[in-house]
Amino acid sequence: MTNDRPSPPPLYERLFEWFCKENAFDELQGDLEEEFQQNYRKHGIKTANKLYKREVIRMMRPSVIKKLKSNRQSNFSSMFRNYTIVAFRSIARNRLFSSINIFGLAISMAVGLLAISFLSEVYSYDKFHENRDRLYRIVTDLHRQNGAIANYATASIYTGTRLATDFTGFEAVAPITKGLRGNIAVGESSIPINGIYTNNDFFKVFSFELLSGDPSKVLLEPNEVILTETTARKIFNRIDVVGEVIRFENGTQYKITGIAKDPPNYSHLKFEAIGSLITLQEKNRSVTTDFGVIWSSYVYVLLPEGYSLDQVQQNLDRLAEEENPKLVYWTLSMGLQNIDDIFPGDGRYNQFSVVMPKEKVTSVVILALIVLFSACFNYTNLSLARSLKRAKEVGVRKVVGARKGNLFFQFILEAIMVSLVSVVISFLLFNVVKSEFLSLDLYIERTLTLDVSTQVYFYFIIFAIAIGFLAGLFPSLIMTRFKPVNILKGASSIKTGNGVGIRKVLVAIQFALSMGFATLVVMAYKQYNYALNFDLGFETENILNVDLQFNDVDLVKNQFSRIPEVTGISSSSILASTGSSQSNWVKYKDRLDSVNSYTFDVDYSYFKNMGHELVAGTGFDEGNDQGKIVVTELLVKELGINSPFEAIGETISYFQKNWTIIGVVKDFHYGTINDEISPFVFTSGRQDHYNINLKISSTNIVETMRSLDEAWRQVDQANAFQAKFYDEWFELTYQEISASMKIFSFLAGIAICISILGLLGMAVYTAESRVKELAIRKVLGATLSNLLVLLSRNFIVIFIISALVAIPAAYYLYQETIVADAIYSIELGFWEFGSGALLIIIIALLTISSQTMKAARSNPAESLRNE
Amino acid sequence: MKGSHLGEFQEVVLLVILSLDDNAYGVTIKQEIAEKVNRSISRGALHTALTRLEEKGFITSEQGESHPDRGGRKKRYYTVTNKGVAALHDAKSIRDQLWNQIPRLKLYPGYDK
Repeated sequence: MTNDRPSPPPLYERLFEWFCKENAFDELQGDLEEEFQQNYRKHGIKTANKLYKREVIRMMRPSVIKKLKSNRQSNFSSMFRNYTIVAFRSIARNRLFSSINIFGLAISMAVGLLAISFLSEVYSYDKFHENRDRLYRIVTDLHRQNGAIANYATASIYTGTRLATDFTGFEAVAPITKGLRGNIAVGESSIPINGIYTNNDFFKVFSFELLSGDPSKVLLEPNEVILTETTARKIFNRIDVVGEVIRFENGTQYKITGIAKDPPNYSHLKFEAIGSLITLQEKNRSVTTDFGVIWSSYVYVLLPEGYSLDQVQQNLDRLAEEENPKLVYWTLSMGLQNIDDIFPGDGRYNQFSVVMPKEKVTSVVILALIVLFSACFNYTNLSLARSLKRAKEVGVRKVVGARKGNLFFQFILEAIMVSLVSVVISFLLFNVVKSEFLSLDLYIERTLTLDVSTQVYFYFIIFAIAIGFLAGLFPSLIMTRFKPVNILKGASSIKTGNGVGIRKVLVAIQFALSMGFATLVVMAYKQYNYALNFDLGFETENILNVDLQFNDVDLVKNQFSRIPEVTGISSSSILASTGSSQSNWVKYKDRLDSVNSYTFDVDYSYFKNMGHELVAGTGFDEGNDQGKIVVTELLVKELGINSPFEAIGETISYFQKNWTIIGVVKDFHYGTINDEISPFVFTSGRQDHYNINLKISSTNIVETMRSLDEAWRQVDQANAFQAKFYDEWFELTYQEISASMKIFSFLAGIAICISILGLLGMAVYTAESRVKELAIRKVLGATLSNLLVLLSRNFIVIFIISALVAIPAAYYLYQETIVADAIYSIELGFWEFGSGALLIIIIALLTISSQTMKAARSNPAESLRNE
Repeated sequence: MKGSHLGEFQEVVLLVILSLDDNAYGVTIKQEIAEKVNRSISRGALHTALTRLEEKGFITSEQGESHPDRGGRKKRYYTVTNKGVAALHDAKSIRDQLWNQIPRLKLYPGYDK
C-alpha cells in the first residue's frame, strides 16, 4: 500500500508546517496531500511534486501564515524589562565578580577599540577618489644581473610620457615627480614649499578638487603652479591669488593658475603645491627623459571603462622590451597596482610617503584578537563557575514556561549589558593609551591620528555587542541545558563538573599567553640593552654628533673649539654604526678577487677622538693626506697580506684610484648588530664632511648645550643646532627592537592583568564553594599549609602546562622577529627563559593563597553552623 | 464585524458548496471550481475565501473522516448557512433587477422583435 503513496517533497512540507497557522494546518495539509496523491496517479510523481510545491508557495498569504510570535508579542517587552532587571540585580549582587568581569573586559576592549579605530583609519586611505576601480599606479621591478630583484613603487616619467603618446588604452596618464622645493620669501621670514610636478591629466586621474582655476586648462604651460589653500594662505594670507606670481629664493618664478583644496588627510599623495611638469621637460632634465631614472617619480593612470588588465600589461611589457637595451647594469619591468593596494601596502621601495605595511596591520589585528579572546575567556570562566548559583533561577523559569530560547536570550542579554558597561570604561582607557599607541611605531605615528568619527563610535557599539555575545555564548548554552527536575530536587543532584574541563583549558590558554608575552618582553629587553651597550670597537660615550647642515666644516669646528667643555673635535662624512653605509671594491696587486669594503671620509683627528686603536703605521696628518688610506686588520687579512706591518706602504685600488696604506686600525663594528664585522677603509679629504664629532666632558650638560648652540648661531642663523649623542643615535637605530619591546610589554601587562583578574575570580569561587569542606578538614586537623596545597594544586598543574607551551612559543617568536636579522645577540640562559613565567606563577600563587588564607583562617564553627 | 458584502469569487464558492451538497471540502470545492467555472485557483486562495465566508457567517464547517491519501488527516466539510443562502438570493435579485432594467436591444443587438 505504501508504495502507492509517495510522500510530497519533505522540504516543502516542513516549510509549510513551519509557516502555517496551527489550527488550519491539518485541513490544508490534508487537502494538499490528497490532491498530491490524485495528481500522482494522473500525471506521475514529477508533475505532482511540481504542483505541490506551487501550492505551498501560494499558501504564503496572510490568511494562512502564522501571526509572528502572536502569543508572545504581548509580553515580550515586559519580559525584556524583567531580564534587564534580573541582569542588573545579578551584576549588583556579585560586585566582586561583576567588577572583575567588567574591568577585565574593559582593559582588553580598549585594545579592541585601538584596533578598530586603527583599521578604520588605515582603510579609509585614498577612498575619496571617484574612479578607484580604474585608477592604477605603474610600479617598477628592477632586475639586477645577479638575479636580484628590487621592487619600486616608482616609474620613470619617460614611461608615463610614452604611454600617453605611443600607446592606446589609457584614459589619462599623470606622471608625478617630487622636487618642487624651495623657500619663498614673505616679508622677513621665508616659507618652505614642498610640492610636486605633474601634468594636466592629474585632475582627471585623481579626485583632487580645484577651488579656482579651470582643471582642463591648468598645468599646460611651463612655470605654472597650483597652490593648495593652506599654502596660499601662508604666503598671501588670502586665496584669490590666481594670476599672481611666486618667486623662490633661488630666483625661479611661477605663475599661479589655480588654487587646489588641501589634499585630504587620508591621501597617500600629499603636496603643498603642484608645478607643471613641462617646466622640467623643457629643461631636458634626466628625470623626464631617461627610461632608467625611476627613483622619485610616479606614474598614475586612469584606465577606460571595461579595460583589460592583460592588454595594459602587454603594452607595459612591450615598452620595457623596447627600452631595456638602453640600460647597462639592470633591466626594468613594469606592473600595475590598484590605488586600493597602495595603502596599506606591500613594502615597495621609494613610496611617495610613509606607507603602512600590510603585515603591520595583520599583526595589530592578531594581537588585539588574542587579548580580546583572553578577556572573553574570563567572562566565560567565571560565569560557568558560578552557573550553579543561577541554576535555581533557570529551573523556576523553565517550570513556569520559559523556553530554551528565552533563557538563552536572557543570559546573552546579561553578557551584552556587562560588555556595554565595559565599553564605556574602555573608551576612557582608550583615550589614555591612544597617544602611547601612536608613538609606538614610526609607521603608526606618521600616518594615523586615531581620531574617533561617528562611524567609529558606531563600530564601537557593534563591537561591544559582539563581544558580549561571544563572551556569553558558552555559559548561556550550558545554563539553558539544565534540567528543571534535577535543579529543583536540590543543587547537589547536578553534576558540579559542568564545564570544568573547558574552564581549565581556558585558564591554561590565558596563562600561556601571559607567560609568552612576559618571556618575550624579558628577551627583547635584554637584546635591546645588549644592542645599546654593544662594544663597537671604538669610543661612543660622551661623543656628541653635530649635523653640519651644509655649513663649512672648519668654520664650525673653529667656533666649537673655543668652548672649554669640548675636549676633542673631529669630522666625518658619515656617522659610523648608525645604519648608513657606502662601499666599494678594493683591489690589491694582481689578485683576481677583490674585497668589498665599507668606507667613509674622516679628518686627521678622527682616530684619536673616537678612540680607534692603531695596530701599525700612523693616522692621517693635517693637510697632507692625498692618496693615503687607513685600513682595518680584517681588510689586511682578506687581501692576503701576512701582518699589519707588512701592509704599510702597500698600494691598493679603491674607487678607481690608487691609495697607499699608511696605517692599520683594529677592527670595529661599522654596521649594526645585524651586520658581521666587515673590512673597512678610511680616507681623508676625498669627500665633504657632514658630521662633527665632539667629545664632551661636562658636569652641566644643559649649560654646555646652550653654549654650543650659541657657537652654532655664530655660523648659521637660519637652521637650528642639531646634535645627538651616540646613545641617542643607537636608540634610534634599534628603535625597531624597542618598539617590539614596548608592544610586547603593553600586551604582557594587559594579558597578565586579565589572567590574574580571572584567576582571582576563580580562587574566590573555589574558596567559597569549598568553605564547608575546608572547615571540616580543619576540624579534623589539617594545617593551613595543607589547605593551601589542596586549593592550589590544580592550578599549579595548569601553570606548568601553560609554561611548557608558552616558553618555546615565545622563543620561536623571538627568533623569528626580534633577532631575525641580528648576527650578534644575547645568550639565552635560564633567567631569560624562565623569569617571565616564574614571575607570573608567583603572582598567581599569591592571588590564590590570599583567598585560601581567608577561607582557611575563618573559624570552622562559623562555616559549619548554618545548614 | 467585517461587512456582509458578498464578493464575486465568494459567491462562486458559495454556489459550488451548495452544488456539492454534503461532499463539499477543500479538494472537491477546488476541483469543482476548476471544472465548472473554468477557473484554476490555488488551495491557499480558496482558504482565504472560506475564512472570509466563515467570518461573515455564510458558511459553517465541521470535521469529517480521514483518509490514507490525506496522510491520515481529517477533512473539513463546509455547509452554507441560511444567512449564506439569503445572501445569495440578495445578490441574485440585485442582478436580476439590473438585468431587467436593461433594454433588450442593448443585450441582444441584432435581435429585432
